[in-house]
Amino acid sequence: MKRKHRYVRFFLLILVSLPLTGCWSSKEIEDLGLIVGTSLDLETGDVSSEEQQDARYANRDLLTITNQLITSETTVSGTKEGSLPEKAYKNVSETSDAVLPTLRNMLLKIDKRSFAEHSKVIIIGEELASTINLKQSLDFFLRELEIRPSGLLLIAQNRASQALETNEPTKIPAFQLVEMMEGHERTTKILPPMTIAKLEGKLYSNSSFLLQNVTAEDGEVKFAGAAVIDGKTKKLRGFLNEGDLEGNAWITGDGKGGLVKGFDEQSGSPIVYEIISMKSKIVPHVDGDQISFTVKIQSEGRIAEHWVLLDKASDNRFLKKAEKVFEKEIERLVKNTLEKTQHEFQTDVSGFGTKLRIHYPKVWQKIKKDWDQTFSEVPITCEVDVTIKDYGTSGD
Amino acid sequence: MWEKVISYVPHWQVFMQGFLAFLIPFLIFKLFNGFLLVKKNNGKIDIKEQANQSEKVHKPIQKTLEQFTGNYNVDLAQMRKEIGHNWDVHFREFHIGNTGNRAAIVFLKGLCDKELIDKHILTSLMNCHTENPTIIKGYELQQLIKNEVLPVSDLREESNVMKSVGRVLTGATVLIVDGITSVFIIGTAHGKTRNLEEPISEALVRGPRVGFTEKLSVNTSLLRQHGENQHLSIIQMEVGERSKKELVIAYIDEIVEPNLVQEVKKRIEKINLDDVAESGYIEQLIEDNYLSPFTQVQSTERPDRVIAALMEGRVAIILDGTPFALIVPVTFNMLLQSPEDYYERWLPSSLIRLLRYLAAGITLFGPSLYIAFVSFHQGLIPTKLALSMMGTRQGVPFPALIEALIMEVAIEILREAGLRLPKPIGLTMGIVGGLVIGEAAVQAGIVSPIMVIVVALTAISSFAIPQYNAGITLRMLRFIAMFSAALFGLYGIILFFLFLCSHLVKLKSFGVPYVSPTVPYRAGDWKDFMVRMPLKMMKHRPRLLKPKDTIRKGD
Repeated sequence: MKRKHRYVRFFLLILVSLPLTGCWSSKEIEDLGLIVGTSLDLETGDVSSEEQQDARYANRDLLTITNQLITSETTVSGTKEGSLPEKAYKNVSETSDAVLPTLRNMLLKIDKRSFAEHSKVIIIGEELASTINLKQSLDFFLRELEIRPSGLLLIAQNRASQALETNEPTKIPAFQLVEMMEGHERTTKILPPMTIAKLEGKLYSNSSFLLQNVTAEDGEVKFAGAAVIDGKTKKLRGFLNEGDLEGNAWITGDGKGGLVKGFDEQSGSPIVYEIISMKSKIVPHVDGDQISFTVKIQSEGRIAEHWVLLDKASDNRFLKKAEKVFEKEIERLVKNTLEKTQHEFQTDVSGFGTKLRIHYPKVWQKIKKDWDQTFSEVPITCEVDVTIKDYGTSGD
Repeated sequence: MWEKVISYVPHWQVFMQGFLAFLIPFLIFKLFNGFLLVKKNNGKIDIKEQANQSEKVHKPIQKTLEQFTGNYNVDLAQMRKEIGHNWDVHFREFHIGNTGNRAAIVFLKGLCDKELIDKHILTSLMNCHTENPTIIKGYELQQLIKNEVLPVSDLREESNVMKSVGRVLTGATVLIVDGITSVFIIGTAHGKTRNLEEPISEALVRGPRVGFTEKLSVNTSLLRQHGENQHLSIIQMEVGERSKKELVIAYIDEIVEPNLVQEVKKRIEKINLDDVAESGYIEQLIEDNYLSPFTQVQSTERPDRVIAALMEGRVAIILDGTPFALIVPVTFNMLLQSPEDYYERWLPSSLIRLLRYLAAGITLFGPSLYIAFVSFHQGLIPTKLALSMMGTRQGVPFPALIEALIMEVAIEILREAGLRLPKPIGLTMGIVGGLVIGEAAVQAGIVSPIMVIVVALTAISSFAIPQYNAGITLRMLRFIAMFSAALFGLYGIILFFLFLCSHLVKLKSFGVPYVSPTVPYRAGDWKDFMVRMPLKMMKHRPRLLKPKDTIRKGD
């Protein structure tokens, strides 16, 4: 019997030692502050923080980071009797010279444990993007384990922190931005979403690219064109407007839907073309040292709306005429965009370089160093082929 | 070159870790084995002591193995001495017809068919008239009664007093006649039985509405009635030292593996108990591993289930006095199957089976996954759901584990209480309990609404498992899963699952691996595992039982 007791004691010892670990690294969900959005701004005015007076920090750029937090108190169901909280989110800002120290300083201001695995969007202010290399300012976000690579990256005209504010207190601005982005399938005026995972590839490939641009004024957030990021310096070069984005979508063939508005030549009334499918092919030509491109665009769609009273949509002659109108309009859009990217910004954001690399790797090796420079002088022609498949439920 | 090789040799700490990783489980294993050894030794001693005791008990009984003398007064006195003090034993003395021989019948009130005794035994004996009444005595009288007077089918002669006493106690009527050195034993046993009813614990939508009853002969006749089968063997055994009970082992001798029958007989013979009250006793005494949480013997009230098991080459054990028959050997998948799976068409029953596996998974891991997600892996919850969970848990004073424990224990109490109560009250209690647990607990801020959903889902899932005791097993293990989730999150759940798997893989029921056909893998048996293939495809019996005849006849 004594022996038996000893074994039982050993068993108990092992059993008791297990719960000694406690609830290892457990953190209850209601004690978290979910970070759903982050904005980065460059600090310009006088910052009278202690760090500024430190000699080491003289002449350094300072960052202001704003985190959008959702805590259990700000959610609707968290408040008793369903009374709405004043705001569905809580923005906390802090200024310092690198990302993580700033975030840690933020701990002094909030009572919840901040948790970034649900982070949806990172917004970079215009000033920051045009003065600091994106590789440097985003290094922490690319490195950190807690931040998901599915988060979106946006550029804000003027201050980025304003994009995280809204007039409607029950809405969460970070979610609004993401949901607006998801609507891109029905318009070509919004870029396909640029996630952190995709960004990493762009940052390391030395080619220029576009980032979705947002403007925020008095709590109203709006997507407005795109920011051009220079492939070499990784800095903001300038902005394309919505029209330019449409042209870019036609060049790359990336759009999934959208509209083209043309005008009837005789009456001047508008006709609207709804895109069902768009395809584009960039064909490079090399003739000695002479490089040129042809952009072949094919599209199918329907007439969604037409104000021309004299013509019937069921009339084939009218359809042919309309196709011509749209072809011209698309060509105009493409030309406008190329004008801007080639001559104003001198950056290739539509993937012409990639096509050249694939088709003429040897030529590419020679010119890839100064590609953006070369690109600005390359002649580009455009061939558009529009087919109208149907005219909806009305033959008029 | 050597430097390069040496640089790849791990640091001594790695070796140390490896050594410990071997040593600690090894030590635990040794400890456990030692524990079992001690247990076994204790058991052996007990058996010996019991054997000594039982010999002592048996001796006085053996003394009284006496024969009937043929003297009416002596024989009657002897019977009276043995059982006359009992209230329910009746002695009725009379004369046999015109012969004038004295006679008496001894019977047990309640157990005997009174009408049979009155109408056929007493009437015949009292009214028997022979031509020369005075001469007939002794052997001739015995022959006369046997051949001409008593119109009953079940008639035997017995000369041993103790044996006839035993027969009286089981419902037979003993007839003592003056001058005959043995007594007649007339089978008049007519115990109270209930009607054949549909078993409550295993109700089916489609299938025979018949369940076993408490009477062994009815149960075996139910098996026989299933269809003419000369190979269905029903072998009688006896269990219980002080109160003996009949027990039969049923199997189909053309199919079953002979060693299995031997093993079952051996284990039943080893049972050494005063009284075997229910087949649950046998189940617990013959199972392979009494420390395992899983049931290794299937109990059922349904004759069709027993027949189906016999046809696969299993063995059934039926005990007198209980409607629950036992089936051995058992594999895990049997606990999640229902006879209905075979009666319905194969597509619906396959889907329902998969559903049961899902339900078993939810029962086992539902609350623990909730705990792991809420207190460890919030990043794995979809954002919107995470937000609403955060909101609903706002103000709940307990960590997720305590919250889950409160609710789970409450629902277990509710289940247990509802089970014992009479039906109308049980219904009311279900409503009240459901309201209190569901609505009031949330309103009071003790638990979050999502926890209520998890608990309800778990409880319902556990009742979707067709075997009640298998459901209890999973519900029991669920608590361990919850604790391991609270300790280490998803990592803990995985550890617990691996631990469970390693136990299951090692477990055997009468020499058959418990989780077969998964381990050891037998592709052929998978046709009747998580899904049920069309009957035309299931031509073979499960191979793991090593049946003598592997092919189900007819195609």
